[in-house]
Amino acid sequence: MKQYIFILAIMMTTLFISATVINNDLKDKAVLGALLFADPILSKDHTVSCASCHKPQYAFADTSAVSNGVAGKKGVRNTPTAMNLRLGRSFFWDGRAKTLEEQALAPIENPDEMNLPLEEALQRLRKNKKYKDYFLTVFNSEPTKKNLGEAIAAFERTLETSESPFDNWKFSDDSNAVSGAVKRGFVIFNEKGKCVKCHFGADFTANEFRNIGLFNGKNLNDSGRYVVTGWAEDIGRFKTASLRNIAITAPYMHNGILKTLDEVIDFYNDTKKIVPNAVNKDTVLLHPLGLTKQEQKDLKAFLFSLTDKRFKK
Amino acid sequence: MAILFSITTKDTLTGRWESKPSEQGNIIGVVFKADNSFEGYVNKKPFASGTYTFNPVDSIFSFVDNGCDGRRGIYKIMLYSNSDSLRFEPLSDSCEARKSGMLRLVMGRVK
Repeated sequence: MKQYIFILAIMMTTLFISATVINNDLKDKAVLGALLFADPILSKDHTVSCASCHKPQYAFADTSAVSNGVAGKKGVRNTPTAMNLRLGRSFFWDGRAKTLEEQALAPIENPDEMNLPLEEALQRLRKNKKYKDYFLTVFNSEPTKKNLGEAIAAFERTLETSESPFDNWKFSDDSNAVSGAVKRGFVIFNEKGKCVKCHFGADFTANEFRNIGLFNGKNLNDSGRYVVTGWAEDIGRFKTASLRNIAITAPYMHNGILKTLDEVIDFYNDTKKIVPNAVNKDTVLLHPLGLTKQEQKDLKAFLFSLTDKRFKK
Repeated sequence: MAILFSITTKDTLTGRWESKPSEQGNIIGVVFKADNSFEGYVNKKPFASGTYTFNPVDSIFSFVDNGCDGRRGIYKIMLYSNSDSLRFEPLSDSCEARKSGMLRLVMGRVK
């Protein structure tokens, strides 16, 4: 029974993913990428695919603080959404991947995630008649590290969302698309809340690295970007996450420590209340924001308005 | 004179403008509204809201948006192809990221 449910889940995920791809032509890299994204063939024990943690129904994130890889191995950071990455400049919480192609391959080899050396992954694909034929059709080549990354990245680039109520309000100039609370929330986002200082851009991220006060060198000791650059100023800095579809990608932050958007807004309102001994915190958050209960509600309404219509229940 | 100015201002910029797709396939656009507000977007995703003024006599375009900590950008707008295409020439903008983006921008009127 468990195996039946597992197979059904894989089939449904594959169908959902295929439905998001623009062109169903098998000559399309993204279609091949969609198949690979949902296929546990790329994990050591054939149980974990990219879609195991990047679940379509949660905007290609998941619902755990950290996720389980092969053999139930726990990861160390929260699964970020795989949507809206096309405009990104670096990938992963610490920005260690410069391209989406580089990012796409890293979890395959990561012992905490899919734990499969790339050469072994490629051997599997080459021995699989379906993939051997697909790669030949799309790339005129057998599976290689380069074209594997290209295919998955091509699929990830199709995962763009631009039809939220907020988008309808601003792009289509439909003032009835959002409520008064959303409009007030947008003002707070840009002014008293200071959110726009980090969350500016088409995907509500300026793609910078910021320390928002979730590093204290003790129980919160993931130093983030510092591991990549070695620069002291980067201690505790993480890539600012996109806010698109944020209402359905709980829990939040690099370690999934905040469970709801209420907790997130409460945290930003006064970070010292939650983490009194933060180290190297960004000066933007030095002082409490002083948001009233109503302002917090309005800000939350605005954040909810960033949910794409495809996720509307 | 004021009425003529406002009519000319409204007609010159008011409306939707978009760039051709970049190498990566990205399209940047802006909607200039008659109330002197504007919405900038990339691939139909809004990213900047602000207010502007435009003097059609000297083509000076001045604006603030919700990025760049409220710093004002002042540009000269070069209109061509029967005023159906435009590009920006920076005159004063201390927001380097915005300036470098706008320098590369060529947009056509969306009809």
